[in-house]
Amino acid sequence: MAEKLLMGNEAFACAALEAGVGVVAGYPGTPSSEVIETVAARVADGSSSGVHVEWSTNEKAALEVLAGASYAGARTLFTCKQVGLNVASDALMSLNYVGVEGGCVLFVADDPGPISSQTEQDTRRFASFAKVPVFDPADIEQGMDMMKAAFDLSERYRTPVIVRPTTRVCHSSTFVEVAPATSARPAKGFQKDDSRWVIFPARSYRGHLEVNERLAWIEAEFSGACASPHSDCGDAGEAAEGKRASFASGFAIDEGRSYTRLSSEGLIPAVAADMGRWGRDGSRSEGDCFDGLREGAPVARETAAVASGRVSFPPCDLSRFNPVEQCGSKDALPRLGVVCGGVSAAYAREALARIRSLAEERGEKMPAFRFMQVGTPFPFPMALADEFVEGLERVFVFEELDSVVEDELVRLMGMRSAAGKKAARVYGRRSMPQAAGENSVESVFAVLERVLFEEALRDVGASSAELSDRMDAFDERRTEEAAAQASKAVSVALPARPPVLCAGCPHRGAFYAAKRALKKLRVRGVFSGDIGCYTLGNAAPLNAVDTCLCMGAGITMAQGLGVVEPDVRQLAFVGDSTFFASGLTGIANAAYNGHDITVCVLDNSTTAMTGGQPHPGTGRRLMGSQAEALSIEAALEALGVKCIEHANPHCLEESVDAVMRAVEHHGVSAVVFRAPCVDLVGSASAVRIDAEACTGCKKCITSIGCPAIGFDGSVATVDETLCIGCGLCASVCPFGVIALPGKSE
Amino acid sequence: MKNVVLTGIGGQGTVLAAKVLAQAAQNRGWQVRTAETIGMAQRGGSVVSHVRMGDCGEQVHAPLVSAGQADALIAFEPGEAARVAHLLKPEGVLVSASRVVQPVTASLSKEVYEARPVIEALEARSGRTIIVDEAPLLAAVGNPKALNMVLLATAVQADAIGISLDGLKDAVRACVKPRFVDMNVAAIDEAAAALR
Repeated sequence: MAEKLLMGNEAFACAALEAGVGVVAGYPGTPSSEVIETVAARVADGSSSGVHVEWSTNEKAALEVLAGASYAGARTLFTCKQVGLNVASDALMSLNYVGVEGGCVLFVADDPGPISSQTEQDTRRFASFAKVPVFDPADIEQGMDMMKAAFDLSERYRTPVIVRPTTRVCHSSTFVEVAPATSARPAKGFQKDDSRWVIFPARSYRGHLEVNERLAWIEAEFSGACASPHSDCGDAGEAAEGKRASFASGFAIDEGRSYTRLSSEGLIPAVAADMGRWGRDGSRSEGDCFDGLREGAPVARETAAVASGRVSFPPCDLSRFNPVEQCGSKDALPRLGVVCGGVSAAYAREALARIRSLAEERGEKMPAFRFMQVGTPFPFPMALADEFVEGLERVFVFEELDSVVEDELVRLMGMRSAAGKKAARVYGRRSMPQAAGENSVESVFAVLERVLFEEALRDVGASSAELSDRMDAFDERRTEEAAAQASKAVSVALPARPPVLCAGCPHRGAFYAAKRALKKLRVRGVFSGDIGCYTLGNAAPLNAVDTCLCMGAGITMAQGLGVVEPDVRQLAFVGDSTFFASGLTGIANAAYNGHDITVCVLDNSTTAMTGGQPHPGTGRRLMGSQAEALSIEAALEALGVKCIEHANPHCLEESVDAVMRAVEHHGVSAVVFRAPCVDLVGSASAVRIDAEACTGCKKCITSIGCPAIGFDGSVATVDETLCIGCGLCASVCPFGVIALPGKSE
Repeated sequence: MKNVVLTGIGGQGTVLAAKVLAQAAQNRGWQVRTAETIGMAQRGGSVVSHVRMGDCGEQVHAPLVSAGQADALIAFEPGEAARVAHLLKPEGVLVSASRVVQPVTASLSKEVYEARPVIEALEARSGRTIIVDEAPLLAAVGNPKALNMVLLATAVQADAIGISLDGLKDAVRACVKPRFVDMNVAAIDEAAAALR
């Protein structure tokens, strides 16, 4: 094993390879793309063998490829960003009912903020909707452990399993140990079984029961019931294995065994008691394993200090992903609970360390409280959470995106109340100010510092009047500190620096030409955009993207817009990768239903936004082998497009003419703009602006907004480190003072 | 804990600089976490890299540096320094390049975006601020891409990161492609000599 600085996504890829994954497929999307790239790099350099890895045309195609591979017994890994799972959802919903053979793990990266996404959707919710277990890592190390556990869980229960890290886990880096060489686990091949692999309504009914059953078992495992044997567990592990085996061989419902769900009377899942549970010392406790709690004792689980964040569990104990820690003063029973999901657990640990050191500086005592990370939000580890909240009055939940953990805790409190047990108040995204966007150490600190201060006062028996006075003083001090900090801040007016189309980006010419063409034709138009670098065409001065919804939607939205306003020209812009991912059906729809639209295909020979992945139109596969490049023109023609124009987007006149011809065609027309992404071009020489002759009219800037062109107050300037000499600015300049590279002025 | 923030514009080389720092920290036996801006923002937008090093043996949990917690801020462009200066501790060290890079928004606006007022605002802060005159150094090295090493070396010379020049060079050798090592080491030497 070697320690390497790896980005989260690289580390997760290595973990999957170490777990023997044999088939890997996905579609690029930030923040998920590096997983497949890492697998490909390791396969290419020979360090991982026996693995097939591909960029599929879209997420649905990828998951279906993997479903087949899993049926045939291979361990499979799917990767996408959160919205990619929407595309693959049709396959996922049924795949869960059918079940898998080889472990099938879906790596779905969520993007709180969002930083590079259309939505803040929460894959933990998707998991519960699809009834598929989900792991939610707080950091890279835990994520690697979860990846391996996910393959094991998937195979033991024949269920797809989701691992969903968020951007800050995917795109952070740390030193981790990875195996220098891995090989895929051999697959035994597809075994024909019509009762299993062919989904029919009757099979679905049975499948649904199976799904419910296994989720109950998995919930018990997430709460600490041990079901998988491991050498660390000794004989007891084998005993547990006996039960597990009968489960896997046909799902216990066939044996007429009734399974008791968590009920308001017991609040302890029967299965946990039935299966037994591992104590800290490895002993197996029969019967009700939560007796200690009933007596009001602190939680059974050993609590390494929050500071360490690492508790030792036997590898079979999946409750290691839901660590519970007892923190602060040992003199009092805790009244406060802190529960975190995902990276917020890391933020909270950091915030708590700072609060502790501040308290030490002031000679104050940290009050008693409990800390829990929920690393398996679905199925929610209800028994463990029930144990955790025993005796607590308030629970603060820190999670991003949706209030998933918060809602489960509220559900738990409802059941506790119904059972006549004490229920704590739960505070989370529903009740705290921040309802969207990312959490941070600061945001968690702000809440916890105040709450812990309050708890410390209560520990020393402050009266309610005293408490209220001290809290008012606390808030006042905070306001003052914030004001003092604001007064010291570096204050200077700055221009915004949003992402922009690169200097020399071919999309700039395509958008500008389309605008020019409509102007020349004296017609109004709507520019429906799509997902990719070209979404950036919406920025000033181009202002050339009027809509952006989801992958492939530009083409179909243009049709709907045209139905309502037939006199307005409808132009849809779609990148080459998006064209193959989800543009084809929209074009078929336009041709079949007689819509009058112009599809502008921006073919830059790569999937640029996500880092330059190949796609079916490039003639290159992920592993570098040559494929036959699928022809965009042939696809357009086959889908019924009668007017197909071509243009080099760097040539303004040619591009304007092409758009005019296409827009004037009645029915579906297309313009294929073809010029490579600047990332594929390499360095080239810059244009030259004759500073003497430049009138300072700024036409080059206000028309196309190239980042290589600046303005020094009187004339336009060229940043030679950025300019690639595409010459679009030269064709825009009304005074001809911009010279192309290699041409004299 | 040593917290370092690197900021600049997508494509300027902050990611490699963060990697080099992480390697230097690892070589000293410190736990380290870094975080990057990847994806859409990389296209000419503001980018920030975070490097967190447990120099006293403490565990690093969060990959991001919180407001007011950075020991050093290394900026590849002065305006970008001002944008994230709130991350610095009051006594933290700020190292910034001096050349401004015009964003399209500035070219489009009537206001001219200049370095002088930005640098004055940076220098008005209470902590130490080092504005690097990078142009002659980069000319001496012969490669504008060496800006990241020039800035790192300056921060190291100012003793803002807790690693030495030799530690920085060792880290460069460990994580830069072999054919670029000499150029990067030369840039470190140039910057260090300029500060002496």
